[in-house]
Amino acid sequence: MTDELFTISTLIGILHSCVRLATPYLFASLGETFGQRSGVLNLGVDGIMLMGAFFAFYVVFEGHNLWVGVLAAIVVGMLMGLLKAFVSVTMQALQGISGIGLYLFGLGLSSLLFKTLIGSVEGVSGFRQVGIPFVSDLPGIGHIFFNHNALVYLAYIMVPVSWFVINRTTLGLKIRAVGHNPEAADTLGVSVNGVRYATMMIGGALAGVAGASLSIGLQNVFQENMTNGLGFIAVALVYFGSWRTVGVLAGSLLFSLVNALQLWVQALGIPVPSEVAVMMPYVMTIVVLAFTARQIQKPAALARSYERGE
Amino acid sequence: MNSTPTFISTGQRSIEDLFAHGISKPTAGHRAVNFRLNAPYVQMYDIVKRFPGVLACDHVDFDVRRGEVHALLGENGAGKSTLMKVLYGLYQPEGGRILRDGAEVTIHSPTDAIHQGIGMIHQHFMLVDTLTVTENVALGLKSSRGLLLDLDRVEDGIRELSEAYGLQIDPRAPVWTLSVGERQRVEIMKALYRGAALLILDEPTAVLTPQEVEELFVTLSYMKENGYSLVFISHKLQEVLAVSDRITVMREGRRVGTVSTKEMTRNELVRMMVGRDIILEQTRDEVEVGDVRLRLQNVSARGVTGQQALRDVSLSVKSGEILGVAGISGNGQRELAEVVAGLRPHSGGSVEMDEVTINDWTTARRTESGLAYIPEERMHDGIVRDFAVSENLVLQEHTREPFSHGIFLAFEYIARYSRKLIQDFYIKTPDIRTMTRNLSGGNIQRLIVARELSRQPKVLVAAQPTRGIDIGAIEYIYSQILEQRDRGAAILLISEDLDELLALCDRIAVIFEGTIMDVLDRNETTAEELGLLMAGVDPANQEGAQAGVPAGAQA
Amino acid sequence: MLRRISLLTLVLLFLLAACGRSDRDADANTEGTNEEPFRVAIVLPSSTTDIAWSQSMFDSLKDVQASMGGEEALRIAFSEGMFRVTDASAAIRDYASEGFDLVIAHGAQYGNSVFEVASDFPETSFAWGTSSDTGAERGITNVFAYGAAANEGGYVNGVVASMLTQSEIVGVIGPVAGDAKLYIDGFIRGVTGVKPDAQVNVTYTGSFSDTSLAAEAAHVHIQAGADVLTGSAQQVVGAIGVASENGIPWLGTQSDQISLGPEVVVTNQVYDWANVIDDMIAKISADEFGGTAYTLTFENGGLRLEFNEAIDIPDDVKDAARAAIEDIKSGAVEQFSDE
Ligand SMILES: Nc1ncnc2c1ncn2[C@@H]1O[C@H](COP(=O)(O)OP(=O)(O)O)[C@@H](O)[C@H]1O
Ligand SMILES: [Mg+2]
Repeated sequence: MTDELFTISTLIGILHSCVRLATPYLFASLGETFGQRSGVLNLGVDGIMLMGAFFAFYVVFEGHNLWVGVLAAIVVGMLMGLLKAFVSVTMQALQGISGIGLYLFGLGLSSLLFKTLIGSVEGVSGFRQVGIPFVSDLPGIGHIFFNHNALVYLAYIMVPVSWFVINRTTLGLKIRAVGHNPEAADTLGVSVNGVRYATMMIGGALAGVAGASLSIGLQNVFQENMTNGLGFIAVALVYFGSWRTVGVLAGSLLFSLVNALQLWVQALGIPVPSEVAVMMPYVMTIVVLAFTARQIQKPAALARSYERGE
Repeated sequence: MNSTPTFISTGQRSIEDLFAHGISKPTAGHRAVNFRLNAPYVQMYDIVKRFPGVLACDHVDFDVRRGEVHALLGENGAGKSTLMKVLYGLYQPEGGRILRDGAEVTIHSPTDAIHQGIGMIHQHFMLVDTLTVTENVALGLKSSRGLLLDLDRVEDGIRELSEAYGLQIDPRAPVWTLSVGERQRVEIMKALYRGAALLILDEPTAVLTPQEVEELFVTLSYMKENGYSLVFISHKLQEVLAVSDRITVMREGRRVGTVSTKEMTRNELVRMMVGRDIILEQTRDEVEVGDVRLRLQNVSARGVTGQQALRDVSLSVKSGEILGVAGISGNGQRELAEVVAGLRPHSGGSVEMDEVTINDWTTARRTESGLAYIPEERMHDGIVRDFAVSENLVLQEHTREPFSHGIFLAFEYIARYSRKLIQDFYIKTPDIRTMTRNLSGGNIQRLIVARELSRQPKVLVAAQPTRGIDIGAIEYIYSQILEQRDRGAAILLISEDLDELLALCDRIAVIFEGTIMDVLDRNETTAEELGLLMAGVDPANQEGAQAGVPAGAQA
Repeated sequence: MLRRISLLTLVLLFLLAACGRSDRDADANTEGTNEEPFRVAIVLPSSTTDIAWSQSMFDSLKDVQASMGGEEALRIAFSEGMFRVTDASAAIRDYASEGFDLVIAHGAQYGNSVFEVASDFPETSFAWGTSSDTGAERGITNVFAYGAAANEGGYVNGVVASMLTQSEIVGVIGPVAGDAKLYIDGFIRGVTGVKPDAQVNVTYTGSFSDTSLAAEAAHVHIQAGADVLTGSAQQVVGAIGVASENGIPWLGTQSDQISLGPEVVVTNQVYDWANVIDDMIAKISADEFGGTAYTLTFENGGLRLEFNEAIDIPDDVKDAARAAIEDIKSGAVEQFSDE
């Protein structure tokens, strides 16, 4: 039975699954990368995702266009980011704790809103799989990469976009400087807190879309706590990727690949105990983390709030 | 493009204007300013700045002209840095006025200062390690491409400026790969690129090697010729005499006087600075040399970045003897000191104290057995910056009687003990509870010396004990080191200052690229011979000269 | 100082919002009625709207409430999302000490907590499931146990699946291995009973709530050739979404899942706890506080198979399903009838 796993069509299937599964991780961990590069640890990603997932779903459920749903998720995500920035940048609350607070806030509020505004689990018709003309017909590759819904494509587009913003724009330079040596940035007239507000809002917007990718992209349903801790894995992936966008991409793909693989292993009836199979992605993550503990890029000021001292 | 940018004399302009005027494209040899020599450029009147317990600036006047190097001389804690931080907007003074080109200006922040054309190079560099030189320079500046970075243009500007002022740096190098001297150049570059017409350098030579000091002086003279005003803070007389046009001497927060350099002698300056004569030439009593106290046999070790920092080092120091280690910074001195102190594992060989192998002893055990260590990075390794002075003074001993009883600290005793050390070692601090970070460099060094020497150590490792501290403190530390020797301690003195080594040591070992080139008797060697060895050249066999040795390394 | 205070306010705000989740809101408007209402409290591992295990019980409670005459007759308090046993344990104890007549712990994992609290509150009645253990051996008399013969519905759904599949490959999306075993075993028996050569692919996500992975599992099954899907636990919402998008028939269980995939959900095995609840209330009113173990079966009406009326289901499929139910009731399918 094991040889079934190595047939071309199975491999294509695994990779196809992997590319799709990585979508929410990508959005969320790219967003988190912005925050962490500027020195703010946001553990509340999961809460923001839930809010994004809910609002996107609600807007679509009420009969609006899918992109309006995405927009709603972005707006809500930015507001959540703003809240996080206010608490941990302006109020200088401990970043870890305030992130958990934000998570609980998002979890509670999205459940509450769901109960009061919708009440029961319903389906909507979300983004559909659309093959990209021509390239989706390419053998193998076409199915793996070019046969997904719009939000999946968007997630991958965000990788080079994020890279570009971080490495090729003035904002990106400020983000990197503020995350590493806020004092130095401050002496050059860079507003440390301003930059951190910006990254929290960018991160919030991306986390919001990550949520939307679940509720109106991949599952087309909203359920309380539907992220199931996915946002926390996204935070881990940022460390995994050494704070680089490619690293985050690699991490998301690897994590998703192992997940896809274990589902396929089970579906094909390959005799691996399912307990072992479901652990694979986590074991894999820990192993890779242990071996890639390159911390050169780690923002030195991560999780430290900044106050100008005399 | 305007070949004579006028932005500096019309300093009301914003940084963006500076850019529009092509600050990124100066031509070599252009004059930064149309200047009238001798016109005061910036004036400070009656500046008062108080800190809890200290009057750091006591009604101080100061002025800088265009095209001059004005040295600010004084012992540590005299208030030099404070005065300049007021000018740079880092501190708000309680009183006084600042004028630029005769008009009063208000400077509330470094940003304001930059707008006024004032730049400052701090003792502690303000650089983002992970970014490249160009990125550090471009940070916070408006880009000519709007939201997109224009690093290529900034890079061109850096290249031109570095050519014009002899500031050699690779614009693409990440800052963390740079040496201290290069980092300083980046700081200067940042200020120049922002259109600073007045540059304040706070003890710029304290961290530099002799060659780097030379290079800095060359840069300063270029800048001066081009009409820049420079404030050079130092407590080193030779340097001040060599580089400045005028000197303002400060002591205990007050201005002692401002003089023209040409008219001054070294001794006159010393008297102004410390209020008495200083003798650095120490009288050495001959003492009986005893048994070997510290022995290193074939010790090898790796450095911070994993490179082979020490190769097969064998040394021994006897009781009543000072063994000097000479060498250019970065040739393994730091690792050597750390291996002996137990802070760095060594990969081969053995370290012995009183003929007992201590390879796997912890630092604490070594300390208990009579090892004292004055570290090179005193701010980092020597003290806990956020501890009170008294806490730092009992750092190693606080768990023992009579400093504590059981798990309780004996505060009374610690306080009495601290006061005694502060008195005995002339540590200038408002109080024993003052945060150690607020002390000046010289006083922090006195604190460390007090702590280490008060324990009457059997073996003393002193790494660059006088680097960056004032002459009064140096004199005192010399006398303390000699006193320990006379008492019978074995002393390993690591220094880059040949005069210091020749004055204090009985024997001098020269280290180059982690190997001991030779060990020489003080009476049988000269500075020249040591200089050649430091550069990796064996004077006995000049043919064996190593490649890649920088010229002038024997300075 | 000011900063401290505003920070505190914010933290409180966060916490308040977070607590909005597990509000124990007994619909607590105390109107002066002549008779004291019967008071039930329930602790649920997931949400009351999970379209699965928790919702089935909660909906049944609401039905019972309606048939008894509303809030005046039956008061319901609940704590949902108690996936942490320690939280659930605290909630169970709180409800007991607040004097509820019946405290339901709706999860097998709550067993220890229930027995512990039950021995401290002998005058309060408790119920827990899935289980058949009422603690009688430990001398506990105030605990009811309940469960569902999920294998029966699984078998019927299996028969339906075998009739619907053309590829002869059927996909099952399980939560944690072992938990949905009854249903899945029954399902496999149903499929292979009709089509011995048919292949049933089973995957577990390792979680009850990982909707993302369950959705992806649906994709995987479809790509691996499955043309009929089923699954259990609240995680399946995502999978049903995927089934809908791909037009793949879905066979539901535990709760009514038609709303999620009106075009693809063919049948639902629905748990109806109303009879069990009615019986417990009657017993408690007669001062019998526990000791009975209930099992939902087709026979006792606790299990029902619902067809989606909105789609055209071939008659032979319906007939086969009905026949399977009759076979189970009559004991013609052995092993299901033996308790
Ligand atoms: N931030 C500060 N807080 C308290 N005291 C300070 C601070 N900075 C400097 N001082 C004190 O002010 C005096 C002058 O210090 P400083 O200007 O650094 O001297 P210098 O630069 O001449 O060595 C010293 O006594 C020092 O301890
Ligand atoms: Mg100073």
